[in-house]
Amino acid sequence: MTTTLPRPAMPSAPVAPADGHAIEAVDLVRTYHTHLGVLRRRKIEVPAVRGISFAVRPGELFGLLGPNGAGKTTTIKMLITLLLPTSGTARVMGYDVVRDTTEVRKRIGYVFGGDRGLYDRVSALDNLRYFAELYGVDPDVQRTRIGALLEMVGLTGREKEKVEGYSRGMRQRLHIARGLLHDPEVVFLDEPSIGLDPVGARELRQTVQSLVDAGKTVLLTTHYMFEADALCDRIAVINAGRIVALGTGSDLKGAIANRTIVEIETFGVTDEAVGRLRADPEVGAVNTEERDQSQILLVQSERGAHITQRLLGLLGETRIGKVVAREPTLEDAYVHLIATTGDDEARAARAASVQ
Amino acid sequence: MTATALPVAAPRADPASLRAAWRVFWNGGRMSYGMLFNWARPSIYIPTLIGGPTFQLLFFAALGSYATDRSPAYFAIGNAVQVSALAGVFGMTMAIANERWFGTLPAILATPANRVALFAGRFLPFVANGLFVSLYAFGVGVVFLGVRLEPSSLAVVGAALLATVFSCTAIGALQGAISLRLRDGLFGANLITMAILLFCGVNIPLAELPAWMQVVGNLLPFTHGLEAVRQAADGAGFGQVGGLIGIEVLIGVAYATAAFFLFSYLERSARQNATLDVR
Repeated sequence: MTTTLPRPAMPSAPVAPADGHAIEAVDLVRTYHTHLGVLRRRKIEVPAVRGISFAVRPGELFGLLGPNGAGKTTTIKMLITLLLPTSGTARVMGYDVVRDTTEVRKRIGYVFGGDRGLYDRVSALDNLRYFAELYGVDPDVQRTRIGALLEMVGLTGREKEKVEGYSRGMRQRLHIARGLLHDPEVVFLDEPSIGLDPVGARELRQTVQSLVDAGKTVLLTTHYMFEADALCDRIAVINAGRIVALGTGSDLKGAIANRTIVEIETFGVTDEAVGRLRADPEVGAVNTEERDQSQILLVQSERGAHITQRLLGLLGETRIGKVVAREPTLEDAYVHLIATTGDDEARAARAASVQ
Repeated sequence: MTATALPVAAPRADPASLRAAWRVFWNGGRMSYGMLFNWARPSIYIPTLIGGPTFQLLFFAALGSYATDRSPAYFAIGNAVQVSALAGVFGMTMAIANERWFGTLPAILATPANRVALFAGRFLPFVANGLFVSLYAFGVGVVFLGVRLEPSSLAVVGAALLATVFSCTAIGALQGAISLRLRDGLFGANLITMAILLFCGVNIPLAELPAWMQVVGNLLPFTHGLEAVRQAADGAGFGQVGGLIGIEVLIGVAYATAAFFLFSYLERSARQNATLDVR
């Protein structure tokens, strides 16, 4: 599904960022304000992003990885000019996202996940034509550009159908085509694979890789570890509004390279039993995955497989299935980072902000 | 740094930007009709904008001529113009407010498109639609209710009608902008069309209404345009009704300007306060 995008007839004068970065964020902060109650209204401050700094090189695929509510989307929305930072600065291709909104918007594409955000009552072609006009794509370029993008996202032949009949995967691919209509230098992808089936998600990853191959700078947010590991040159793990780790996938995995992961299949494990595991000083982190009839406990420890018997003892009467000890993956590194950072701080900050 | 609302997408005057703005106005405006107007499918359009106006004309003509000594043509003309408000007010409300309900507003706001062109272009299809519905209703009036228009008066009637449809669409734009924030867009559009029916001389001459209702009627779109249509249908030329048409256009421009500034304010406010679903 890769293709070379036709260049616009009248391209914007490329701006070489003075600092060599396609995206640069310095101490970005965004706090939301909301109210609770009807008669006795209380003002609540919710810190969504709390001092994020990072830089993305031209042509790099940079991942923002974090749990729901970590601040990924808020960060992206500040970078694409939809939200103002409460403090801090950010530049895209050398342009300030607060002051130079039009210049930034000309140079970026924005793709978000989910079903919404398209005109369902008209065809994919009309959706693309409309946004091509809004992005000022020259009429001579529009036809070839739209054709190339439809080919790239695999919608050729379906472009005249109304979007209301599209599957989620087709909609997602149309979102991507829309975000590339003006041949942007930087593409922001906000959880683009959310809700896609495995085949659709794999095709989407191929599409994302093709963007990088075409020279685009890509900032991708996701909470799928394997997706970040497979695609991203560098990954920033964000938790409770702060970057808690930044590096390549190997760097992040290296943070827990001395650990072993013990996977324990259980049936009807209680919270108390999991609590006993977490309280053990030899245990680094415990993550629970629910399966149909069972729960998989992922226990991190620096003691290697030797700790297995001790863990089984802590689980007491819990019915045990398969037990496996293995090397850590990026997902394990991510779980470790999320488990050991941010939560207490975030809770404390939220409690303190209630005025 | 404090979060501060700054000017967004300031229009530029170079030829390429002007051409792009023109295309946003003309092409984008035309395309918005199919994308955003919920009634743009025959199963809704025909009963709502053909069937409804037909029965509205017949109902008020029958009721009015039964209750007063005015001819059915008087009521037919008033309601034939009023049904254009139905298309203009509801259509334009949907054309703006639906951007939020369809989830397309963030994508629109993230484009560098000239906002004046984007906003003004939305008027095109809905003014045309209002004219079409009104001309159809005039046809019903001519065939069934005794409306007679001299060929010499058609141009003046058409100009007055165009001004009226524009101003009704403009108040629809204001309602659409309000609905971006308050959500109950069609409820407000209903109130506006009912207010036009009551305050603007559609079935009861303005002079016969209480004074406060006359004040309201004069501040609403439609009143002066309808009066211009009535006088033109009776044979008045541009010289006699030009002032009324001019006032109607000015009222429309005032509502359209207010709508655009509200839209711009809401866009700036959304960046600052994370409203309009941009959060």
